[in-house]
Amino acid sequence: MARMKFLCDADRCIECNACVTACKNEHEVPWGINRRRVVTINDGKPGERSISMACMHCTDAPCAAVCPVNCFYTTADAVVLHSKDLCIGCGYCFYACPFGAPQYPKVGNFGSRGKMDKCTYCAGGPEADGSKAEYEKYGANRLAEGKLPLCAEMCSTKSLLAGDGEIIAQIYKERVMKRGYGSGAWGWKTAYRETIES
Amino acid sequence: MLIKRTNQRSDRRGSVAESLAGQAGGLDRRTFLRRSGLAGGALAALGAMPVGSVRKAEAAAAGPLAAGAVVKKSICTHCAVGCTVTAEVLNGVWIGQEPSWDSPINRGSHCAKGASVRELVHSDRRLRYPMKLVNGQWTRVSWDMAVNEIGDKLLQVREKSGSDSVYWLGSAKMTNEGAYLFRKLGAFWGTNNTDHQARICHSTTVTGVANTWGYGAMTNSINDMRNSKTMLFIGSNAAEAHPVSMQHLLESKELNKANFIVFDPRLTRTAAHATEYVRIRPGTDIPVLYGMMWHILKNGWEDKEFIAQRVYGFDDLRKEVEKWNPQEVERVTGVPAAQLERVAKMFATQKPATIIWCMGQTQHTVGTANVRASCISLLMTGNIGKAGAGANILRGHDNVQGATDVGLDIVTLPFYYGLAEGAWKHWSRVWEVDYDYLVSRFDEKKLMETPGIPLTRWFDAALLPKADVAQKDNVKAVFVQGHASNSITRIPESLKGLKALELLVIADPHPTTWASLAVEAGRKDGVYILPVATQFECTGSRVASNRSMQWGEQIVKPIFESKDDLEIIYLMAKKFGFADKMFKNIEVENNLPVAEDVLREINRGSWSTGYCGQSPERIKAHMKNQHKFDLVTMRAPKDDPEVGGDYYGLPWPCWGSPEVKHPGSPLLYNNNLHVMDGGGAFRPRFGIEREEKLPDGTTRKVSLLADKSFSKGSEIEDGYPEFTLASLKKLGWDKDLTEAEMATIQRVNPANPDAVSWAIDLSGGIQRVALKHGCVPFGNGKARMNAFGLPDPIPVHREPIYTPRVDLVEKYPTLPDAKQFRLPNIGFSVQKAAIEKGIAKQFPLILSSGRLVEYEGGGEETRTNPWLAELQQDMFIEISPADAADRGIKDGGWVWVSGAENSSRARMKALVTERVGKGVAWMPFHFGGWFGGNDLRKNYPAGTDPIVLGESANTITSYGYDPATGMQEPKVTLCQIVAA
Amino acid sequence: MASFGRFIRLAVGAWALLLLVTAAPAGAQQVNPTASAVKEQQLLQELNRIQGRVSIPDQRSGVLEQPQGREWREFRDVTLRWIGGIAILGMIAAIVIFYLTVGMVRLEAGRSGRTIVRFNAFERFVHWLTASCFIVLAISGLNITFGRPLLLPLIGFEAFSEWSQWAKFAHNYLSFPFTLGVVLIFLMWIGGNIPSKVDVEWAKRGGGLIGHDHPPAYRFNAGQKMIYWIVVIGGGLVAASGYALMFPFYGTGIEGMQMAQIVHSIVAVLFVAAMIAHIYIGTIGMEGAFEAMGSGEVDVNWAREHHSLWLDEQKARTGPNDGQPQPATAAAE
Repeated sequence: MARMKFLCDADRCIECNACVTACKNEHEVPWGINRRRVVTINDGKPGERSISMACMHCTDAPCAAVCPVNCFYTTADAVVLHSKDLCIGCGYCFYACPFGAPQYPKVGNFGSRGKMDKCTYCAGGPEADGSKAEYEKYGANRLAEGKLPLCAEMCSTKSLLAGDGEIIAQIYKERVMKRGYGSGAWGWKTAYRETIES
Repeated sequence: MLIKRTNQRSDRRGSVAESLAGQAGGLDRRTFLRRSGLAGGALAALGAMPVGSVRKAEAAAAGPLAAGAVVKKSICTHCAVGCTVTAEVLNGVWIGQEPSWDSPINRGSHCAKGASVRELVHSDRRLRYPMKLVNGQWTRVSWDMAVNEIGDKLLQVREKSGSDSVYWLGSAKMTNEGAYLFRKLGAFWGTNNTDHQARICHSTTVTGVANTWGYGAMTNSINDMRNSKTMLFIGSNAAEAHPVSMQHLLESKELNKANFIVFDPRLTRTAAHATEYVRIRPGTDIPVLYGMMWHILKNGWEDKEFIAQRVYGFDDLRKEVEKWNPQEVERVTGVPAAQLERVAKMFATQKPATIIWCMGQTQHTVGTANVRASCISLLMTGNIGKAGAGANILRGHDNVQGATDVGLDIVTLPFYYGLAEGAWKHWSRVWEVDYDYLVSRFDEKKLMETPGIPLTRWFDAALLPKADVAQKDNVKAVFVQGHASNSITRIPESLKGLKALELLVIADPHPTTWASLAVEAGRKDGVYILPVATQFECTGSRVASNRSMQWGEQIVKPIFESKDDLEIIYLMAKKFGFADKMFKNIEVENNLPVAEDVLREINRGSWSTGYCGQSPERIKAHMKNQHKFDLVTMRAPKDDPEVGGDYYGLPWPCWGSPEVKHPGSPLLYNNNLHVMDGGGAFRPRFGIEREEKLPDGTTRKVSLLADKSFSKGSEIEDGYPEFTLASLKKLGWDKDLTEAEMATIQRVNPANPDAVSWAIDLSGGIQRVALKHGCVPFGNGKARMNAFGLPDPIPVHREPIYTPRVDLVEKYPTLPDAKQFRLPNIGFSVQKAAIEKGIAKQFPLILSSGRLVEYEGGGEETRTNPWLAELQQDMFIEISPADAADRGIKDGGWVWVSGAENSSRARMKALVTERVGKGVAWMPFHFGGWFGGNDLRKNYPAGTDPIVLGESANTITSYGYDPATGMQEPKVTLCQIVAA
Repeated sequence: MASFGRFIRLAVGAWALLLLVTAAPAGAQQVNPTASAVKEQQLLQELNRIQGRVSIPDQRSGVLEQPQGREWREFRDVTLRWIGGIAILGMIAAIVIFYLTVGMVRLEAGRSGRTIVRFNAFERFVHWLTASCFIVLAISGLNITFGRPLLLPLIGFEAFSEWSQWAKFAHNYLSFPFTLGVVLIFLMWIGGNIPSKVDVEWAKRGGGLIGHDHPPAYRFNAGQKMIYWIVVIGGGLVAASGYALMFPFYGTGIEGMQMAQIVHSIVAVLFVAAMIAHIYIGTIGMEGAFEAMGSGEVDVNWAREHHSLWLDEQKARTGPNDGQPQPATAAAE
């Protein structure tokens, strides 16, 4: 069974933000909601690395575990999705998420949160695949069309990999073997309790 | 744990992998890997792994929502890498972008800008209709009214002040067809004051590189750098300026274990991936390169055979290099000897090595000399004309190479024919217009043959005393079609220029800072704004950095009332009354010239540069067959019926007529290949021999032709000059010319057909015959280390006009004041005055500027795109932690930056970072819409203001112009920063 | 396992290469950014979080990774449920047992028929304002922690989500009057709630809950003082931590909010448990007690038995024969 994962090869990432705008473009994500972002560690210093981060679609996802209304579900491809119809915008998933993935539109009063929004792995939501309702709430459903998340597909340096965990891990391992260095599969240990350390 | 609906859904869907199992027609393993960002042979170990991650692709490219969508391909408009943009269009609306897997250049990838271009088209902040400024208010007018009023005013200026008083500022955003027609419009109007962005990005490259070996362009390609063993970045931040190129560069670094060496004053995002980072003081590229050459010569690492066969002026160079011993280099640049020696060794011995540069080298008063020094480094080590080597000059705009080639320039007619009478006569033949008619359009014949005014100085041309401007009158009107104003230095003075103009026309998808600054300058009228379509709404060809030509389809029709560049040019020509002459051989449909016809005219006239073989049909076939081209060589298999043997985009020179089927030249000057396989030689463009003075007072004649070096399969196994009918006759090859070709040659020069050369033979016969005999039409010469004719024939280090190292100015002063491009260049006086006034004490920080990945150029277009604007919301200045601590400046806090001229100051945020070293500050140059701390949002026509505004870096930048090209100096000046 | 072996070899190889590179002769400015790349595990070990620079103004998104959400998750899903379950169910159980064994504390002297004003209208308004808010807050709050295992299976996703959404709104909005109530309670009754020696005696005698003892007390006995301080301190804490959650990132980060949630939830469940006791004692636990907050007037005998010193005070102020002290007049004095 496919187990979809993301892997950002920090030795390739150049913080070009293509993943960020590809996501905005594909799903018409509004201003202020950052389903994906690029963080630069040790900025300006030797050893600086940038990493593109979004929801990692964790194994035994903490967001799902702490959700008071149980609005999360995991698809057969191991993508962690949620229902905006059920979400009450309490923010608990944000406290639990190790990656800062959940985003909240500021709709309510006094800074309170609207329905949570996050990376869907371009897999939409509970509505019918490719339906208008699904698109409006969650954005495009590329997985249903046989495509991978656009952020990874458009990555300028092929740094961000998406696809079956075993395959992308193998790709990464081969890269590391070939070039002789690698700064690790960022977030894997936290998200998947495994790592492909170099 | 699954919620109810999902349980149902799960049943229905199952796993993607399951749905794939055993199915034919699903995504195969190759497709999957490509979608995972992989291809090529690096995946052997994956062979045994199960396929299976992606569901079967539906018949249509998209889901039910996008059912019925049409796929259109165009080229990204944001840099010259040349990424293909794949658009899904439904009912005339651009609904989505898909990865362009087939393009050998971007292979599906984009950067932040490319991945968001869709927004440019449907932005609700685009200009919708023509407007004019009436009593300080932007007022809607009709196209007819705008064209009539603008035309009348221009004709009035022409009447009173002469044709040169109108400045035609075109754009690297235009297609080849647009840029060519814009230059042609200038020619028919009667001026050489036609310029575009190349002036401020790579004019020094074009001049410096062409003066070295023949053509002013990137010699190899981004893909070819996959062959490199050593990549030397000096003045390029590819990760932010050309992100998709990094895909190839990083893979080269990984697969070849290539050295990835970055010279930069900043630890850029590119430097973060370097195997060696060398921090240099801004403006010391020449000493650094000479410092490397010093080690190379000392250790005998130079390529002696290459130098002997293919290089002129090595001894002259050696004398200059000897001055740059390691102590002096370290004193001037700050680079330690040991590091430089190590880098020099890698560069000279781990070959093929390439130098990659961009505006870090070019935007200097010594820009031409900088790029010359880089070329010389390549020549010295034999790293040119080979796969994996070369001068990989990354260009900035999507068609800046093409716009330069088609002559949207002040120093030449299209395709580098120059401005001499012969050039005008060549083009009058191509255009089928009387030469005398063209002469009559100019104020005088002398000005027709004199280079125009560089765009960097349009305001000097408007403001200086009339006597200082070497044309009939000052510049009185500016017609700008697709160029930012905030990317030009010395904004406080350009503000005065804006006030002085009689007419300003801004043709652009956005109002740009021309509009907001014109209002700020106090203008109440005399400004027109014309809405122009983006290239995604137009058809035409554009040339990427690697000289590959690509065809862009119209994705959607021009929105609102905006018009195609070509249509606007036609409307102006019609208004001026010469449309019939100008478009004699070009079909015009509904005021819109047909792009294919324009390209065909280009094909018929561009023999000098080899745009002659790139017919629209061939280019379109390449776009259709993108997937057939090899990733590294960029060549299609020879047996392909449509594009067999071609290199992707027929990189120029693509010799002969389209029927000759020359495949294009992916690597310039490569003599390892037959010329019909894209091989070549250095172009003997500066004579075939030179008289040199010897120390004893005598002279000797030295050949400028190659010595025993020639391209593969050449029937002449030595150097040779350019081909003319006379030289064909001498070789007995004139018999190969057809009668029709002979007849055309006779028509070109009835008086002396023997003098007709490969470059002006409109039949293409001379080229065809030369190719047939394995020879390069332009000849086989030597590259010049000594580029006699340039202000500094051998590059000389010269301190920036505003330098903190006043102690070095006496030894390394800038060139004396002189008159260049119709205007005085008083750099020397400015430098002298700065030292006398102690500017370096008042303004102790070096200020440099550069690119952000999210924005492009003046940035109005990209700052209007919310997907990009959100990522960079404030103008900032980078300052080192030490300098910030001295000044009590906090990261993210507001600061005032003040500059050395005009009491200029600007308010922005501080970014305290170790990217810059102590004593250096850096600003991005994309911001605009603020001036001196004031927000100018109100100056934009309502609803068209970009989302993000900010101070322009060029409010602070200062005087300084390259003597050979008029290039500005935005990379080194001085400033002071205080907390606000 | 084969792949693991290869993996080890790979890692060793990579390190060897890095060592080779770094062992190259060093110049003053020698920098090999590739060799010195930051590593995830190393950063996590050092700081247990990874933070960097982002260009968007939302600087909190600069936190790349903060795995401590795992501990918080453990707290929320397990620890808190135990604490809450034990505190609340334990309290209820204790009360039930107490009630069954001891029963209602009766007025030993019976009703005198004369009453005395214990809480004026404003005091009662503040009490009921706070109390009613508290009940809604408690139920909606408990729903967040216990609704998913207890209520959701009964009513289904949609209904539960709908209810929880309203409960969230109620929780957020009612926090303001509740906070106001707590502040007023603090100011209004601080005078009578400073602990004193009488409280020691009262406490020693177990508040007279068992048996027929009636330890003396002023207006508020030690038990009531305890409730007062639970309300003031507990209320203060839940309010402060609650607002930290309601206004995310104002002065806090993720860790801050995790801490705030921990404080909020622990204090809240204990608060609920305490209030259950308070409600019991104020209603079926003690005869005549409810009237204090009901009509505001208590029977004089009730006052004598439970707040003898207070009754004495009141009598001293209004005269021995006047069983009807007039707070309004007193206020006018």
